[in-house]
Amino acid sequence: MKRTVPLVVTFLVGMFMIGEFFIPHHLYRVWTAEFLVWGLILAAAAFVLGLINLIQVNLPKVLRKEPDWGYKLIMLLALAGTLVAGFAGGQDRQTPGTVYQWIFDYVFVPLNATMFALLAFYIASAAFRAFRARNLDATVLLAAAILVMLARVPIGESLPFIGDYLPRLMNWIMDVPNIAARRAIFIGAALGAVATGLRVILGLERSHLGD
Amino acid sequence: MTALTTIELVGCWISLALTICILSFLYEDNPVYKLAEHLFLGVSIAISVVEIYYGVMKPNLIEPLLGGELLSLVPLVLVVMLFFKLHRKLSYLARVPIAFIVAAYAGVKLTGEANANLMTQVAQSMPNLSQLWADHGIWDWSADGAGVFSGIALVLGLSACLLHFYFSAPHKKAMKYVSRFGILTLMLSFGASFGYTVMGRISLAIGRAQEMMGLDKAPAVAEQVHPKTATVLLTIAVIGFLVVWKKRQKTA
Amino acid sequence: MLDLLIKFQDMDRRWVFLGMGFAILLPMLANITFGFEVDERVQALYDEVEALPAGSTVLLSADFDPASRPELDPFFRAHLHHLFRKDVKVVMVTLWEFAPPLILPTTEEIAGKHGKEYGTDWAFLGYKPGKELAIKAIGENIPKTFPKDSRGNVTTALPVMQGMKQAKDFAMLMSVSAGFPGTREYVLQIQGQYNLKMGSSCTAVSAPDYIPFYKAGQLFGLAGGMPGSAQYEKLVFPDGPPTSGPAKGERLLATQAINVLNLGHLFIIALIVLGNIAFFITRRIEDQG
Repeated sequence: MKRTVPLVVTFLVGMFMIGEFFIPHHLYRVWTAEFLVWGLILAAAAFVLGLINLIQVNLPKVLRKEPDWGYKLIMLLALAGTLVAGFAGGQDRQTPGTVYQWIFDYVFVPLNATMFALLAFYIASAAFRAFRARNLDATVLLAAAILVMLARVPIGESLPFIGDYLPRLMNWIMDVPNIAARRAIFIGAALGAVATGLRVILGLERSHLGD
Repeated sequence: MTALTTIELVGCWISLALTICILSFLYEDNPVYKLAEHLFLGVSIAISVVEIYYGVMKPNLIEPLLGGELLSLVPLVLVVMLFFKLHRKLSYLARVPIAFIVAAYAGVKLTGEANANLMTQVAQSMPNLSQLWADHGIWDWSADGAGVFSGIALVLGLSACLLHFYFSAPHKKAMKYVSRFGILTLMLSFGASFGYTVMGRISLAIGRAQEMMGLDKAPAVAEQVHPKTATVLLTIAVIGFLVVWKKRQKTA
Repeated sequence: MLDLLIKFQDMDRRWVFLGMGFAILLPMLANITFGFEVDERVQALYDEVEALPAGSTVLLSADFDPASRPELDPFFRAHLHHLFRKDVKVVMVTLWEFAPPLILPTTEEIAGKHGKEYGTDWAFLGYKPGKELAIKAIGENIPKTFPKDSRGNVTTALPVMQGMKQAKDFAMLMSVSAGFPGTREYVLQIQGQYNLKMGSSCTAVSAPDYIPFYKAGQLFGLAGGMPGSAQYEKLVFPDGPPTSGPAKGERLLATQAINVLNLGHLFIIALIVLGNIAFFITRRIEDQG
């Protein structure tokens, strides 16, 4: 029963959702819309589960003063402070001047943006150290990369003689080999997704049940 | 132009300080970076939970339940069952809502991928050679190389890439050359991807630099904030901290 | 010579980081500008929006966060100005949890400048998690998915939502997308099924993936990355940063940044070329030695 019921639920819900694509009847769509909303609620609840787990893992470490407990305390305090600010702000929490919006604008935005900005530096380092034209394949990859980098910026377009042709060659690479490769990957991925979806719905794939 | 309040000015400087704290990771993993990282983690999870509550829980579950919609009891029961995941003995109850959500995603993804990725993309890959010949001939520079040559090259490239990923047949003799052509097509595509990725990553750093230079603000606002001065002073402060910290590490 | 080349290749990466920092900061300080062309995909996007009749309603899915703001926020701002200037109504949704505090103040600011009233000329329905499920739900039944908007108003009571039950009821769907979920999921889940007119602004990383959708006619236009946003800014504000009217004070950040991208790209190309030259010379000396 512990495994059978979830498998039956998987099959029924999966088949019902597939049917939405083929059955345009409005009554059927009323129920698929209802199921989709239930799915959204569950997706949201799964996130709250993650929050509870985070507190469960980190709070004991702070209380026992394990290594780096100071940082974990800061994390939990920031978590608590932002939650209070958010719920206290209510529906108007995003109005300029509220504590929640202040935290978002002056704490979250610079942290989030700069975390990803670090990638610019790492990509420069990777380009210098790892990007070697060791064989024909790597040389073709490198040549395409340099062409796109040059052609996508105004300085490439202003180069004498080749400036006119660089953007056109870049567009050709994007329109022909890029589309050929992407479509091949999409088609392969689509076939994989269809196969995996069917395996899950038919109960052949049970990893989501913890088996 | 209204003057910025003290709290807004302080906020601008805190924003720059946190930016420099994260950038200090480029030198080495250090306490100021760790502080900023943990602050980020706490704030981001809290913001997610708040938005999820106001975005979904309140309008789609709590308010319908309070309004007497009995059908909303079903997702409520499923949510309660999901929270049993935290209970050691009754965690099996969470399998039902997990099965629901996984099946819903599987069903939705299956039809979406099959229709848009498989059917539409395959259909669009069949070139209309007579139309291409009429519009562009063999090769038309003014249309970025469109023409019969490109139409055929696209189909051949696509077929070669698909055959390269077909590992059930050994890549020998003719398959070997087809696979090589497929790999070269893939390399052209990945090279172009790398070029775009570089562009994307540098753009993210440019955004931060625009804030540090005050270019993202109106000139009147930037005059109040003094972002360049703030950046220099805060950078000196962080470098000073790192020097002291390194010395303490060496002596310790 | 060999030792020097090996030292060069094994150089501490922090020197590379410093070089990258200078490559970004110096063009900003020098303030050199280059002209740039608008490519076909961005022009198509602009033309389709320009052809919208006054009074039509657009569904705008703004799915980005502070990390992708430099690439997408300039497009988002220019697009809002474009829509409001044409008296097109805007209904906004988002699938990313970090988007609402970012996009709502921006939209309120720009709508206010154009004298647009919330509920009548524009509305923000809010955030929904669930990725593909949320998109499917938007395709099926918007009032069911968003019973209330971000301000707590009943969605069906909003004047801007009259007659708008599904995504196909809108004149067009515009996806400003930083990744997953975003443009790709909209195309896969609802564009084909409902034959929606759909355009996209995306990050540079995603652009190569979405070009096949554009070529297949699933997207009517595509603005990729910061250059795409800069080109769209150029079309919406052909005379540069506006000095009068509702858009007065817009700084056109993508147009500013495109000049910095020049040097950044040249720096990366120089690193690749120098690294390879050093590699090949080293290999040759080692083979001979």
